[in-house]
Formats: sequence, structure tokens, C-alpha cells
Amino acid sequence: MFKRAFLFNGIGSKPEKLLVNLPPQLMEKYECYLDDAFTRLGLCKDIEKNSAYNGRVAEWVISLICDRVVFEYYIEQGIIPDIGAGYSSGIVSISACFGSVSHEFAHDIIMMNRSTMKCLEANNMKLDMGVIIGMDYQDATEYLGRRFSPDELIVGSGNSSFHVMISGRADKIEEALGYALEGGALKAFSFGTGVAYHHPVMEAYTKEYNDFCASIVYKDPLYPMISGFDCRMITTGDEVMRENIINCYTPIRWDLTLKKLEEMGVTEFFDVSANGAVKKFSRVNRRKCKIYTLDEV
Amino acid sequence: MRELTDQIRQEIKDMIFDYYAEECEVDRDEITMDTNPQEDLGSDSLMFVELIEMTADKYDLDIKLQSIGKYMLKSPMDTMSNVVDMFCKIYQYGNDIVNQ
Repeated sequence: MFKRAFLFNGIGSKPEKLLVNLPPQLMEKYECYLDDAFTRLGLCKDIEKNSAYNGRVAEWVISLICDRVVFEYYIEQGIIPDIGAGYSSGIVSISACFGSVSHEFAHDIIMMNRSTMKCLEANNMKLDMGVIIGMDYQDATEYLGRRFSPDELIVGSGNSSFHVMISGRADKIEEALGYALEGGALKAFSFGTGVAYHHPVMEAYTKEYNDFCASIVYKDPLYPMISGFDCRMITTGDEVMRENIINCYTPIRWDLTLKKLEEMGVTEFFDVSANGAVKKFSRVNRRKCKIYTLDEV
Repeated sequence: MRELTDQIRQEIKDMIFDYYAEECEVDRDEITMDTNPQEDLGSDSLMFVELIEMTADKYDLDIKLQSIGKYMLKSPMDTMSNVVDMFCKIYQYGNDIVNQ
């Protein structure tokens, strides 16, 4: 019986927004993990002083460290998950927190995004991602499909009844944002990441990343997971590895993942992000379920 | 079209002001009808969505967000007065707000 699920967020939150919510006792732990990780990875704690690619992955590593601190805090409070799910790079985070890989290896996976970005640049690929607020997966797919082909852009993630992420060619993403507002979106904005995570085009540019993900033996996770791609149950190390390998180029259905968890009996969802980011774009049945954030625990 | 009484209008205004005061961590008395929810309170579109959901729950409305989005293209939400007016129209017209 599954009652309690932990939800791990992907990249996107700025460090200052993550850290402002960490209470002093967790901040101390965060600083300790940060020192160890950044020293080992050769990253500068003053993010601005890192080179372009390093600066970006440094922010993402910070996000993982925050997840780890919050995860460990929940466990210390006696809040033990029955199951977990990772959204986008949250898969890397959950892989470490649930014990399939070490935290160091998870950081190394994040660092491998540099090779993906370099590969895209070398091939002159101009990609991007964006968010549309006010449309669900079906509405966005149907509406955008009237103007854009899947090669140009797709809904890279259906997050909830009001939130989707789009992914594809940078010029088309920009065009799609204005088109979405014309179609009744409440807000639409791009990430400006230069990558199109969760679009199949990324498979050709993530070979090094994928090879790295597959370079070690993964342990079976301490708690089961559910796939954000196809709602499959994940209980073995090999399955966790597969999730990491296909992560960059496979569309997500976060909306269906949460629905599946509800069907499995989950009523308590715990947002493992430091700033409650998962709760903001996720929705569960209000009458039966609740998503708890760090400041509510 | 639903009838909008003074009482309902006040109820909607109170709900909106209470929500923003709590979410934006400001004193409710600091919020006026001239307050800009984005610039003065730091609110965002996800808060706006939650407020719409709360309103839909409270008044048993079946509302499509795109209807509201299209309405907002014509009528930007620059002040709390705009926000209260829009939510009153949501109450009155539901998805037909786009034609108001």
C-alpha cells in the first residue's frame, strides 16, 4: 500500500530562491555539502565567476544539494516515503537520495550536461524550452499542433491542468509563446537554456551524457519509484539507470504520474524542493490529497 | 448569467485580499484597490491560477483558464480593482467572460 510519495524537482530554480527557504540548521548542512561538492568538481561558489557552462551546471548541482538536505530532513523527522518520483533532472536527484547511486555520481551526471551543451553549440543547434501557464497537455498539444510540427517543438512535459513545458527549436519556441498568449494562456515564457530537454532531437546530442549514466552499476532503490515518462514502477537498479539514460530526450507526463500515484493510494505528497517548486506546478485531488512543502513540515 | 449582489462582490473582494495578504506575506491593510498585484505585492501567475481554482471551488464554477486568458488580453490586471472586477465577471459570466 502506497500512502506517501516524495516528489523531486528538476532544474530551473535560481539558487537565491532555493536558499532563502532553508532554515539555519539546514543551511549549515547545505554549506558543508556545497564545499565538498564544489571543491571536488572544481566549481566556484561565486556562480558568476564560473565559465558559462560551469556556471549553469553549478546552479543545477546546488539544486541537487538542496534536495538532498531537504530529503534528509524529512527522513530525520520520521517522514519516510513509500514511493517517489523525479521530475526531469529530479530523476538524478532521486537516484542519489533513494540510494541507487552516490551523491557524487549524481553531481557528475549533472556536470555531463556541459558536454551536451558543447555538442549542441558545435552543431549550431539553437534550442530552447518554455512554459505555458493556463493550458493542459491536451489543449496545448492540440493548439500548438495547428501551427508547429513535432520537429519544431513539442509539449515536453504535461505538468498539470494549467501548466505545460514546451521544448524545441529556439525560434519556434519564441513564436509559440506569443501564439499561446493569443490562444488564452495566462502567461508564457522561455527558459533561454539553449537546450531542449525532453524533445527527441536531444538524443543525438546526449551520447556522452547517456554513456556516462550507463557507466556504473546502479543499486536497487531503497524505496520504489514511478517513472515520470510512462508511469511504470521502478524497483531495480537497471530500471533506475534506464530512467537516467532516456531522461534528456523523452517527454514527461507529470500530470499522469501524479494521477497514477493517487490511484495507487497515495494521499500525502512531499515536495522535496527547498522552495516548494513542485507544488506550484503540480495538482492533486484537493479533497483527498495534499502536497506538503518544507515550510509545512 | 448569475446575479452579482453587493454581498457576493464583497465576499469576492475579501477572498482576493486575504489570499494575496497571506501568499505575499503583507499586511492586509496595506493592500488597496490601487495596489498592483505584480509590482507591489510580488505576486505571480501561479498564485493567480490558485485564486481562480479557489473561486471555482467556492462558487461551483466550471471555468476554462483560456477564457480568462483571452479576457486578460483585453483587460490587463494592473490593479486590485481590475482583479476584483475580473473575478466578479467570472462569477457572473463563467466562460462567457471572454465576450464581456
